[in-house]
Amino acid sequence: MKKEPILPESRDTTFRDQVLKTHVGEKIPTCIQCGICAGSCPVSHEMDYSPRELVRMVQLGLKKEVLSSNTIWICTTCFSCSVRCPRGIHPTELMETLKPIAIAEGIINKNAKFDNVFSSVIKNNGRASEFLLISRYSMTEPRMIKQLPFGLEMMAKGKLPLSIDRMENTRELEAIFKLGEKGESKIENKEIKEKDREKDSDKEKEKEPQETKMQENENEKVEAKK
Amino acid sequence: MTENESPRIGVYLCRCGGNIGDVVDLQAVADKLKEDKNITVNIQDYLCSSAGQDKIKNDIEKGKIDRVVIGSCSPKLHLETFRGMAKTAGLNPNLLEITNIREQASWVHDRDSKESVNSKVLGLIKGAAARMGSIEPLTPLTKELVDRTLVVGAGIAGITTALELADSHEVILIEKLPYLGGHMIGLSKTFPTLDCSQCILTPKMVAVHNNPRITMFTQTEVADVQGSPGDYSITLKHSPRYVDIKKCINCGACARKCTAGAIFLPFAQAVPQAYMIDMSKCKNCGVCVKVCPRDAINLEAKEETSTISVGAVAIATGFEPIDPSFIEEYNYPSPNILTAIDFEEMLSAKSKTGMRLQKADGTFPNRVAFVLCAGSRDFTGKGRKHCSKVCCIYSQKQAQLVKKMKEDAEAWIFYIDMRSAGRRFEEFYHHTQEKGVNYVRGKVAEIIPKTDGTLMIQYEDTNLGRKGREIFDMVVLCPALIPSKGTKEIADKLGVSLGDDGFIEEKHVKLEPVNTLNQSVFAAGCVLGPKDIHDSVTEGISAAHKVSQFLGKGMILIPPEKPQIFECNGCGECVKACPYNALALDGGKAVLSPLACTGCGICVPACPIKGIEIRNFTRGQLKAQLQGILSEAPGVLVFIDPYAYAAADIAGVNRKQYSSLIRFVSVPSIHILDADVVNAAFEYGATGVMLIEGTTDEKLTSRSDDLYKKLKKDTRKHKKPLRYSHIETAQYEKLTDLLNVFASQAGAKAEKRGRKEKGEKPEEQED
Repeated sequence: MKKEPILPESRDTTFRDQVLKTHVGEKIPTCIQCGICAGSCPVSHEMDYSPRELVRMVQLGLKKEVLSSNTIWICTTCFSCSVRCPRGIHPTELMETLKPIAIAEGIINKNAKFDNVFSSVIKNNGRASEFLLISRYSMTEPRMIKQLPFGLEMMAKGKLPLSIDRMENTRELEAIFKLGEKGESKIENKEIKEKDREKDSDKEKEKEPQETKMQENENEKVEAKK
Repeated sequence: MTENESPRIGVYLCRCGGNIGDVVDLQAVADKLKEDKNITVNIQDYLCSSAGQDKIKNDIEKGKIDRVVIGSCSPKLHLETFRGMAKTAGLNPNLLEITNIREQASWVHDRDSKESVNSKVLGLIKGAAARMGSIEPLTPLTKELVDRTLVVGAGIAGITTALELADSHEVILIEKLPYLGGHMIGLSKTFPTLDCSQCILTPKMVAVHNNPRITMFTQTEVADVQGSPGDYSITLKHSPRYVDIKKCINCGACARKCTAGAIFLPFAQAVPQAYMIDMSKCKNCGVCVKVCPRDAINLEAKEETSTISVGAVAIATGFEPIDPSFIEEYNYPSPNILTAIDFEEMLSAKSKTGMRLQKADGTFPNRVAFVLCAGSRDFTGKGRKHCSKVCCIYSQKQAQLVKKMKEDAEAWIFYIDMRSAGRRFEEFYHHTQEKGVNYVRGKVAEIIPKTDGTLMIQYEDTNLGRKGREIFDMVVLCPALIPSKGTKEIADKLGVSLGDDGFIEEKHVKLEPVNTLNQSVFAAGCVLGPKDIHDSVTEGISAAHKVSQFLGKGMILIPPEKPQIFECNGCGECVKACPYNALALDGGKAVLSPLACTGCGICVPACPIKGIEIRNFTRGQLKAQLQGILSEAPGVLVFIDPYAYAAADIAGVNRKQYSSLIRFVSVPSIHILDADVVNAAFEYGATGVMLIEGTTDEKLTSRSDDLYKKLKKDTRKHKKPLRYSHIETAQYEKLTDLLNVFASQAGAKAEKRGRKEKGEKPEEQED
C-alpha cells in the first residue's frame, strides 16, 4: 500500500471537529495508541486501517482515507475494543458514526455496496438468499465476474440454490420495516432537538444517522427471523 | 486604633499576572469600592511578590490603613505569607484576610458573562470588608507539644523516617505485619544498580531494632485518635503473636516439635527475630509451650490495646497491588499468570521456592512475558487512572533477571510507553535492550491459558500495525499500585484528606510534598503515590526533617477563633452540645477550656439565650459579610467548612466550571450557623443557601442532619431552597456538579417566585 505523507492539505479539521463533537468523539483525543483495540479485534487484519489507526486518523482529520477505508464496514460490532479500551473510547460506535458520513459524502466502496444489497434482499424477501445476494452484488461490482467459475461450480453441486426462499407473509415484514422507519424518525427528531439545544450542529448530519440505523435495524430483524 | 475611630481598610487586589486580571475588571471593582470612604484600594500585578508585599507593609507602617482585605488566590496558599508580613509591619495578623478571587472566581466562571463575574468579585470583597470592619485583634493560644512521634508503617519510608528522627526525638514505630521491611523486604534485586534488596535493608531494620529511642510494635494498628495537633492520645491495637518477642531467642526448638507447622520464623532475616504462630494451623497441643526454654510462648494471648501520647504522626503505610482479576481478558488468577509482586517475592528473602524462579509445576519458565499497565492508566472506572511509575523499570529488571538465570530464556515486555525518566534509567533501558529482551509496543489484548499449561498472548505490535500471537510459559502482570488497605481509615482518624486516587493529599503538591493539611501529620513513601526506593527514602528523610522542625518549636499555635461566653444562665445546653468536652459548668456558669476546643461553633446555636459567639465569626460579623456579598446582585450563598473549601480550591485548579452565582462564605464549621444567620442571608437576597461540610469528624457529621432539619424548619417562611451536602476534599467534581444543579434550581425557583409576586401564577408547591 502506498503511503501518502500527512500534509496540511490532507488534514480536514472540519471533519475532525464534526466527529469529535459527537458523543463517541468526545474521548478520541485521549487515545494513547496502546493497540488493545486492534489486538482484540477479530477482523483487524482484514481492515485497511486497524481501529487504533482509524482513531489516530480521525484525530488528524484524514477525512478521505477514513471515509473510504473498508474498516468502518468490516467491523463486526463485537464490541471487544469498546469494552477493553482503557480510555473509554468506543471504536465500535465510532464506525457507526462514520458510516453515515461516508454515505452522505457519496463514498461508496464495495463494502458499503454489499451492506446495501444485503439489506434490500432482506427487506424484499424476509430471508437471505445467497443467490440473490451474490448476483445483485456482482452487478454493482464488476470485478465479481472473476468469481463466476467458482459460482457455477457451487451451483452445479447444489450449494447455491436458485430458488428464492421467501418469507410467507412479507406484509408483516413491511409493516415492521415501516414501523421501524417511523420509530427511527421519531428518535431522530428527538435527537435533533437535543442537539439543537446543545449546539447548532450541521444540518446535513441529521439525515445521515437515519440511514445507518435503518440498516442496523434490518440486520437485527434478520437475526430475529432466524 | 481607638474604639470610636472608624477602621481604615486597605483593599489590595492582585491581577496574578493575567490569572485574575484577564477575567475580572479589577479597575471597575476598585472604582466601586472606593465609594466607601473608609476603603482605599490598590491593584498589583503580583501581590505576593516582594514589591506587592512592600506596598501593603508601607501603607500599614505609615498608618494609612489599619485593616487589610486582599483579593487574590486561595488563603490556603498565601494567608500565612501575608499575615507574617502584617506581623512584621506591626499589625495584628487577624486584621488581614484574603478573599479568594482566583480558585473560586476567575478560574471557574468561563461560561458566565464578565459582568456577572465582576459583580461576584465586588460583592465578595465588599462582604470581606464589611466583616473586617469589626474584626478583633486576637493572639493565638499556645500549647506545649509532646516531643514524641508515631510513625505508621515500617516499610522503607517508615524505617527511614524513624531512624532519621531518632537522632534527636523519641519515636514509636508500628507495623501491621509481624516483621519490618514492608514491600522492600519482598523485593529481589533493586534497579537500576541490581543490588540485593535485603542486603541494603536488613542493616536498617536491625538499626531500628537496636535504637534506644525507637519503640517498635509489630502486628499493631491505630485503633483510635483523641486529642488535637501536637498532643494526641492514640490507642494502638496489638494482635497476638503468641510468642514474646523479648524472650524468644530464636532457637527453633518449638518449630522442630510442632507437627502442624504452625509456629515459624517469618523468614530468616526477619526483624524482630522471633517466632510466631499461625492460629489457623495450630492444634493447640501445647508442645511448643513445653519445649520453649525461655517460656516465651503463650497460646492464650489475646488482642491488646495500649495508649500512647504523641505530638506528631508520620504516615508511611505504603501501597498494595491492585487485584488484576477484574481484567477479564487476562484470566488472572490462572497457573503461571502472576503479579510482579509475586515474581519479586519468589526471588527475595521471603521466597518460598528457595529463591528459584519456577512455574506451577516447579520447572523454569523458558519464555516469560511482562504485561505492563495491568489496571493502570485506565479511565473507564474499572482500573486506576494513574501511572504506577515503577513498572517500566522493574519489569526490565525482572526481564534481565530471567536472562541472567538462563541465557537462552526469552523475556518479552509488552508496554504502551516505556517511561524511563530519571537518573540512570535510560541507561538501564539501553542495557536491558542489549541483554536481548524483546520489547513490544502494544497493550496485551488477551491472555489465553492453553490446556498444556502454556499461555497465549494476543496483541497488536503498534509500531508495525500488525496483530501477533505468542506462547509463553509464564506471564507477569504489572498491576496498578494503589494505596494500602486502611489508608482512608487512618487518614480520617487524623483529619487528613485523600486525593481522588486514594493517596494522601499533600499540603502543597510541589512545595510542601510531605506535609498534610493537618500541621502535625506528615507522610512519606508510596502512601503519597507510587514511587521507587530512592524516592521513598528521600521522602522519609524529608518527613523526618519536617517533623523535627515542627517538634522543635516546642509549642503549637492554636487559632484564637474560640467561643466567647457573653451571657450565661447556667442552663448547661452548650456543655451538652460540645462534642469535645471543652465546656463545663463552673459555679453555675459555662467555662471554656480553650485548648480542648476545636472552634467548631456547635455551642453557638445551642445557647438558648444567644450568649455565645465565636470570636471573629459572630452573628453580627457574618451578617455584615452576607449583606456585603449580596449587595451587588442576588446569588447563592454557600457556607463551607475548611475541608470542603479545599475541594473548591482543587476544582479551581482543575478549572471545573460552575455558575458565578455561587458565593462561598468560609466558616470554621457549618455547625456555627443558626436560623438567625440563614434567615438574614435570605433577607439580603440570597436565592438559595447551601451548607457544605467536608470534615470527616464523626462528632460533627453525626449531627449535621439534625442541624439541616432544624434550619430548614426555621427558615421555611422564606420559601427559598436550602441544601446540605457532605463533600470530602477529593470530591471536587461532585462539588461542582452539585453547585451547578443547585444554582439552576435556586434560579428557577427565584424566577417562579418573581412571577408569583406579579400575580401571574399563584400555585406553588413547597416540600
